Amino acid sequence: MGKKLFVLIAAALQLAATACGSTSPVAQPSASSLDCSISKLNLQTAGQLTVATDSPAYDPWFSNNTPSNGKGYESAVAYAIATQLGFSASQLKWVVEPFDSSYAPGPKKFDFDINEISVTPEREQVVSFSKSYFDVNQAVVSLKSNPIVNAHSPTDLANYKYGDQVGTTGLAYIQSQIKPTKTPRVYNTLDDAVSALKTKQIDAIVIDTPTAQYMASQQVPNGTVVGQFPPAGEHMGLLFAKDNLLVACVNQAIDKLNSAGTFKNLQTQYLSDYISIPVIQP
Amino acid sequence: MVPASTDRPQRGSRLLGGGRGVVASTTSTVLVIGLLAFLVLLAPGSAEVRHTFFSLGDMRRALVGDPEHGIFSVSGALVLNIEMFLVAEVLILALALAIAVIRQLHAAALLPIRLLAVIYTDFFRGVPLILVIYAIGFGLPALNLDVISTQEPVVYGVAALVLSYAAYVSEVYRAGIDSVHPSQAAAARSLGLTEWQALRFVVIPQALRRVVPPLLNDFISLQKDTALVAVLGVIEANRAAGIYSSTVFNYSGYTVAALLFLVLTVPLARFTDYLVARDRRKRHGEVAA
Repeated sequence: MGKKLFVLIAAALQLAATACGSTSPVAQPSASSLDCSISKLNLQTAGQLTVATDSPAYDPWFSNNTPSNGKGYESAVAYAIATQLGFSASQLKWVVEPFDSSYAPGPKKFDFDINEISVTPEREQVVSFSKSYFDVNQAVVSLKSNPIVNAHSPTDLANYKYGDQVGTTGLAYIQSQIKPTKTPRVYNTLDDAVSALKTKQIDAIVIDTPTAQYMASQQVPNGTVVGQFPPAGEHMGLLFAKDNLLVACVNQAIDKLNSAGTFKNLQTQYLSDYISIPVIQP
Repeated sequence: MVPASTDRPQRGSRLLGGGRGVVASTTSTVLVIGLLAFLVLLAPGSAEVRHTFFSLGDMRRALVGDPEHGIFSVSGALVLNIEMFLVAEVLILALALAIAVIRQLHAAALLPIRLLAVIYTDFFRGVPLILVIYAIGFGLPALNLDVISTQEPVVYGVAALVLSYAAYVSEVYRAGIDSVHPSQAAAARSLGLTEWQALRFVVIPQALRRVVPPLLNDFISLQKDTALVAVLGVIEANRAAGIYSSTVFNYSGYTVAALLFLVLTVPLARFTDYLVARDRRKRHGEVAA
């Protein structure tokens, strides 16, 4: 009995080892062989570009929580890329993908996800990102009545109570650059963080400048952007399944849009307010 | 019917089936576990899943934390879960007993307060715990009152846990009180004790002994539900794991949190089993005598 079992287990282990070893690396296309006509693209659904974002979709990245209206910076960028690739507006289909599941293992239900996701080397081990469609600065949002509005030298900044949404690079910035003496509060959504700011449970939120600008002007009564931190090389990229062949064609489209000045124009149109915000040091 | 107390094998061999059952139970266990392992190991996405959930390097980093990169230690954060659990447990036991006793009193003048107790248990058993946490944790600070609106989120979280769990636990107490035979109370009354004294010295002591296992069951559940307080911004074990996952795009931090919760709850679960078994032995003893 014991021997039979042993043989069975040994066979199972061997089989498992073979199965694991059989995963072959995905071939990378060479630049010369890049064919980006729609029929050749690696798509979820042939003839259709499936783009994901979270719900609710926040301003100024989207408008009215309706990604399909083409308004808001990320919505406009998605349509610009689709057009550049040769799709018509009606061939772009939006799906909802919560941030937390966008990097889950297994097949993706989108071609790419556009959701203010910052590119980091650790994240790039799990998913693939496109080139930058927006370079990110972090900014501080608070209430006009909070002392942080006047006292925000690097030493002052360490003494406030911060709050943020889980997984934001703003939270990582708080921990690695501001190094506060009090543990920050970390919420499920930005809305919860805003609610905590309104009820004075926290002193400030650190978030990318356009979102900060929107919060201070639209979501928080008597809110203000205290300042933005200098650029730290952070940028947002479209999120793809790891090694998706589509990335090369999308990057090509991004390059073309960049040289045509499209991103700059869209930033002026949707994100112009943030340029005037003063720069402060962490 | 054969009295169960005459042929009662030890717990260990009962689990295996006893005698010839040992072979059958071992074989079936190996088969079932082997099949499950096959399923996980041979699935097309196996390597990916094992990396995403069981990467040892990520598990270690999530366990000890990495403050320089904004990563909180999951084990350090677990201390907060344990603190919340311990404080909440004491408050729940007291509040729930008070409610159960109120529902048990029969004086006509106490109707309004009995009614309140019924409404309380119905309400808090019916509303999802997470909504109670949200309502208290975001609602009370918004009131802008002096003491009530300026507490730490942990305090609001524990308050919500106490309100919700006291409703369940009061029902457990009530079942225990109801299980004490009415003749006990009647006998106490005939000795000259008041209704309250009969409840306090005769009924409740017997009831409490009987409800210890179901109470412990509720507390195993409470240990896990402390994780829900994270929605108020508190960095407890589950939230620390969530921060890790979304920072590096790897869920192994959640696996660490799950393992730590198991370390907390499994001993309590086994202790509950032990108490149930002891209680059963005792009662069979009583019947035999």
